[in-house]
Amino acid sequence: MMQPTIEELKNVRFFDNYTDGQLKIFIDISSIKEFKVKEILFEQYDELNEIYVLLNGCLSLGISLAKEKRIRLGTLEEGHLFSWSAVFSPYISTAWVMATCPTRVIAIDAKKLLLEFDKNCEFGFKTMSKIAQTISQRLSDTRFQLMNQLTL
Amino acid sequence: MPDQKNIYKAIRAKLTNIIDESPLIKTFVLVPENEFSFKTGQFIELSVDGIGEAPFTPSSSPLVTEKLEVTVMKTGYVTDYMHNLKPGVHMGIRGPFGRGYPVESFYGKEVLILGGGCGLAPIRSLLFALESIKDKLVKVILCYGSKTPADCIYKPIFERLNNTEKFEAYRTVDKADESWDGSVGVATTLLSKINISISNSVAVVCGPPIMMKFGTIRLLEMGYRDEQIYLSMEKNMSCGLGKCGHCMMGEFFVCRDGPVFTYNEIKHNPEIWM
Repeated sequence: MMQPTIEELKNVRFFDNYTDGQLKIFIDISSIKEFKVKEILFEQYDELNEIYVLLNGCLSLGISLAKEKRIRLGTLEEGHLFSWSAVFSPYISTAWVMATCPTRVIAIDAKKLLLEFDKNCEFGFKTMSKIAQTISQRLSDTRFQLMNQLTL
Repeated sequence: MPDQKNIYKAIRAKLTNIIDESPLIKTFVLVPENEFSFKTGQFIELSVDGIGEAPFTPSSSPLVTEKLEVTVMKTGYVTDYMHNLKPGVHMGIRGPFGRGYPVESFYGKEVLILGGGCGLAPIRSLLFALESIKDKLVKVILCYGSKTPADCIYKPIFERLNNTEKFEAYRTVDKADESWDGSVGVATTLLSKINISISNSVAVVCGPPIMMKFGTIRLLEMGYRDEQIYLSMEKNMSCGLGKCGHCMMGEFFVCRDGPVFTYNEIKHNPEIWM
């Protein structure tokens, strides 16, 4: 299992404003995973055990209407967090994510991360704030998309 | 104010070419009988004899005075008629009207441009203006969203900008098809991939009202101040002179006081996103 280095994390937007000590917490519970083109990272309604941060590559996310009918709703940018459902009950994904080019992600063990939050409240608050920001932006984009559809 | 003897009288211009940009959008190339100059962001009233007049912001370079390009979306009576015109006919131009982009105030700064749909037409003119003063700018970033890949206008401009020093251009589509392997999502999603020094930049937003609203909200969340955000307000401009009142937005006549405003100037107006 390949772990990210502190230097690698410092170059990723999601990890801005963490101390070296806090980055070390992430390293201890993370691994780097690689995905090939068209490989599915997870499906909609899968139970999630890890949250991910895109290191490099390209990822699409979307929802499924039927088994073979995938609707692409968006793409993820480098440095962005996804699969946030892994830290919120019921830990079920709300979308599928697929690699559209060779992709590397940092996979963070969600259960271990939640335990770290209990031990270190400042680290927990900072991380949950960043996750909330991600969700808030996704919600805002979805409203924008919805308004676009309603006014077609 | 327009530099014409009679501000109500249109000058003649020959339609020399029509370029298909997307299924609903065409660019009309006009050669005025006299040289015609405008500042980027200003608008003109373009008329078709016997049909009517409508406001458009030129999409061509403000540095070119012998011809003028206007990009028109098919949305109503005049524009429907225009889409059926053939090169060779004459049209009328009044203007230019209003207040354009204060490009001199962009010197020494980074310029972020957020555009959507047909909003790329005025932005194209702005990009030409910014290219001509690029030595005085730090960098220019264009983020543009269209509904589908087919709806994207001026497709070659993106490659050209990405090969131009100090310029970066990003595209996204709301709805992808099989041919599209780029970003998917609304225009604001592109803002998370750019690197910009917010304190030393200005942001320009131009597009449909919904995009302008969500784009402005996102820019404010990113840390832009109200006075750093320039909005190109496309209202129902008619006379172009602040007389008829068709384009009134609170205390402002968009045709005379705009169409370019800072968010700071108009944020308290309830009609801003309508």
